[in-house]
Amino acid sequence: MKLINMAMLAGSILFAAVIAGCGSSVPLNKEASTSAIRTAEDVGAPNVPTASLYLQLAKEELENAKGLAEKGDKEEAESMLTRSQADAELAIALSHGDTDKKEAIKALERVRQLRQDNQLPQETGTL
Amino acid sequence: MKNLIYLSVIAIAGLLVDCASAPPAELINARQSYQHASMSQAATLVPADLHKAQVALEIAEKSFKDDPNSFQTRDLSYVADRKSKMAEALGTTAAENAATAKANLDFQATQTQILKKTKENLVNSENEAKIKSDQLATEHQARLDADKRAAKSQAELDTLATVKEEERGLVITLSGSVLFASDKSELLPAAQDRLNHVADALLTTKERKLTVEGYTDSQGSFSYNKDLSQRRADAVRSYLISRGYPDELIIANGIGEDSPVADNATAEGRADNRRVEIIVDHAPKI
Repeated sequence: MKLINMAMLAGSILFAAVIAGCGSSVPLNKEASTSAIRTAEDVGAPNVPTASLYLQLAKEELENAKGLAEKGDKEEAESMLTRSQADAELAIALSHGDTDKKEAIKALERVRQLRQDNQLPQETGTL
Repeated sequence: MKNLIYLSVIAIAGLLVDCASAPPAELINARQSYQHASMSQAATLVPADLHKAQVALEIAEKSFKDDPNSFQTRDLSYVADRKSKMAEALGTTAAENAATAKANLDFQATQTQILKKTKENLVNSENEAKIKSDQLATEHQARLDADKRAAKSQAELDTLATVKEEERGLVITLSGSVLFASDKSELLPAAQDRLNHVADALLTTKERKLTVEGYTDSQGSFSYNKDLSQRRADAVRSYLISRGYPDELIIANGIGEDSPVADNATAEGRADNRRVEIIVDHAPKI
């Protein structure tokens, strides 16, 4: 009898473990990744070719992380989120770079035009 | 046979080791990206970001060493790759920002240069305008002074003698009876005083050529009158020279009884005919 009780207890624990391990979603802290993706969209990453590529990767990796979390692979999901965040941050940097490059070109053109209008020699300046 | 088995085991073990230690594609990419970034402007312009990439790569390398085939190794390598790419992008951005800042400084400097040049041009224009204006004012004043002197001379002459503008010049007529005693060619003291005024007036325009002409009435012989008129003209010429008029600009002619201006049959007419004319040439001396 004692042996039967022991067996039932072990079975219950095993069943609970199986229930807990199979198909149960684990909580995932996606804030850093989603925030970076949102910022990338706000700074115009979708309109900058290189930045839009990394933004797309970030979104896909976020979805992958969610999928992994749903399967209960929390550790792997969180690791996947670091990819998503890294891609989103790279998209932000590239968007800023694109804006700054346009500003620099505009500033150089402004100087060139001013000197031309006033018949002054042009200074060489490139990006 | 034994050796062959031994070598085979070694070879298989070697292959297994090689397979186990082959870096994942993510790590290979991360290494390349870091190398690329470290040779870019990031090294000088954003060293802190490059350092972060380096740290991320070191973590990935350690993970690879500890657990070569784990997802952690792949993900850490992936993140390291992105950090290197980001450092390079930030380096480029920093260079562009520096270029923008320099361009803005250039713009300001150019504006200052243009402003300075404009001011200089303005000052030069003002100075030139002032010089021109001063010149015009001086010339205008000189003309006014000359006109004034001429008017004054004319007015003085008008009070001392008859003055007429004729084709041959400005003709100043002095009465012979005022200048000379009858039949004489020496100037009377009173005549000298009058001639002083005439000479002063003439000296204001002493660049003009003068012709002194002596005239008589018709009494006496022609040759005598001719000679008398010449001596009187010479006397007036000498006196004007003594007052400072350039001698090379004065000639004296004795006309005699020719060209009377009045009737020699009357005493008044003869008095008018006895005269000395000083003709001031129109054209100035060149």
